[in-house]
Amino acid sequence: MNAIQITGLYKQFSGKRMKKIDALKGLDLEIAPGEVFGFLGPNGAGKSTTIKLMMGLLRPTAGAAKIMGMDAGQTESRRSVGYLPENPAFYDYLGAEEYIAFVGSQFRMGKSLLARRSEEVLKRLELWDARKRPMRGYSKGMVQRVGLAQALVHDPDVYILDEPMSGLDPIGRALVKDIILDLKRRGKCVFFSTHITDDVEKVCDRVGVIVKGTLVALDRVENILRSGVEGYLIHLKMPETESFSFGGIELFRRTDSVSEYYVPCSAFNGFMGEVNRTGTDVLLVETKRRDLEDFFLALVKSAQGA
Amino acid sequence: MASIILITLKGIFRDRVFQGIMVTALAFLLIPVIASLSMRQVTELSLTLSLSMISFILLLLSVFLGGTSLWKDIERRYTSSVLGLPLSRQRYLLGRFGGTALFVMIAAVVLGAAAFAVVLYSSAIYPPERPVIWSTMGLCILFDALKYILLIAVAFFFSTVSTSFFLPVFGTISIFLAGGVTQQVYEYLRSPASKSLSPVVKQIAAGLYYLLPNFGAFDFKVNAIYGLPLHVEGLLLTLAYFVVYVGILLSISAAIFIRREMR
Repeated sequence: MNAIQITGLYKQFSGKRMKKIDALKGLDLEIAPGEVFGFLGPNGAGKSTTIKLMMGLLRPTAGAAKIMGMDAGQTESRRSVGYLPENPAFYDYLGAEEYIAFVGSQFRMGKSLLARRSEEVLKRLELWDARKRPMRGYSKGMVQRVGLAQALVHDPDVYILDEPMSGLDPIGRALVKDIILDLKRRGKCVFFSTHITDDVEKVCDRVGVIVKGTLVALDRVENILRSGVEGYLIHLKMPETESFSFGGIELFRRTDSVSEYYVPCSAFNGFMGEVNRTGTDVLLVETKRRDLEDFFLALVKSAQGA
Repeated sequence: MASIILITLKGIFRDRVFQGIMVTALAFLLIPVIASLSMRQVTELSLTLSLSMISFILLLLSVFLGGTSLWKDIERRYTSSVLGLPLSRQRYLLGRFGGTALFVMIAAVVLGAAAFAVVLYSSAIYPPERPVIWSTMGLCILFDALKYILLIAVAFFFSTVSTSFFLPVFGTISIFLAGGVTQQVYEYLRSPASKSLSPVVKQIAAGLYYLLPNFGAFDFKVNAIYGLPLHVEGLLLTLAYFVVYVGILLSISAAIFIRREMR
């Protein structure tokens, strides 16, 4: 059974003057238990709409979303989910501890377990000292961390996080990445939306890219990174007076006795063959590739142009 | 649902609504003085003023707490967080309603206690011609509170269909004003004086009588002020009316709220 199963999910909103807007156009997606899935897309692509449909906050025009085999429209489907909404807001007259207790009670957590887990998550998210203060006095980053704390407290199998790094400083972002990696180690399924490719590259197993309500790419992160290899920068040790070309590849740059050659993928074998033949020392082979951001930008550009 | 009721109560108390009521309740201290200016029927006037003041405070609470509770949650996106929990929308709605209704009941008890003290003091200084029937006074306050709980249900109904607070607040006020006179209108329609009205107008008025809440049925102020007896059947009928009307309103509200999209 998939942790998350989305089949033909379609959402149409009514805009001004009854104009119909297709926010999501037949999305199909399967996320396995234990998988960390990054949902990338520019603003307005349909990421939050997808998440709200998964959480039963919106009703699909067509298609269905299931969480742990249960239809997302059912209240019980949310029992196995830790959900962080985009730019979360909580009853601001409550302290973080009170709100976490309220969330725990909705998941029918026992008092002692709730107290222990509450302490754990509040300490981990550095909210322990502020736990009794009303949240109306919290900074944006602190509210975001409360959002994560309430998603983590009942230790669910599935996490659905809408822009989890939003509003966090670099330390907070690193903390969230750590938490996601820890969840991954513990076999939890994490589905998170973002438009920051670096977040995805560091923590995700798979990535889906959505543009204008359509999934335009879906692949493992390592495949994307591998397919993005464009060539190699090869550092060779050569006397300063010598200057060679190998396999037709000319010198790119020289620093003291180190010569650098930029070799396209297709010429790599021929280049290395000649280097070996001449007995030149290879100091370093650097992979030159497009990163996930380049991949993402190219996709968005081509999808938006279409 | 108990946790939502508790959260709602905490919100109301922490927004210092209760402190506001307590400050307003200080006005009860003036009632014996003002009532004494009437020279006679001081106790009756104390009762009238006390019950009217309770009614007015409960009206403000019902309109503003009832009309803004749900709207505020949606507007501030609290619903995105809360409805992402395994909490059905019906339970959420009933919890918010229950918390608000419970607060109105608490306010009625506190204000009622102040009213009892005021009337006790007035009746001790200026003994009334007819003795005060304390149980009638208590029941009058209780049914007044029920009337405003019904009004909260009206406000919640408007909140489920509206995206702004205008309809919940002003719609509720309108319904309160209309619901306060439906009984008189109905009685007028049945009297010979209404002969000149066209049958269509009569039918519309009769339809509205059945559709709108009949707040007049909850008004036992005259009985409390003049020590007139209350009829158990009348009270039970009003209670049944309250239960059925609130039940229907909340069911419709829940049915609408389930379909509402939380964008």
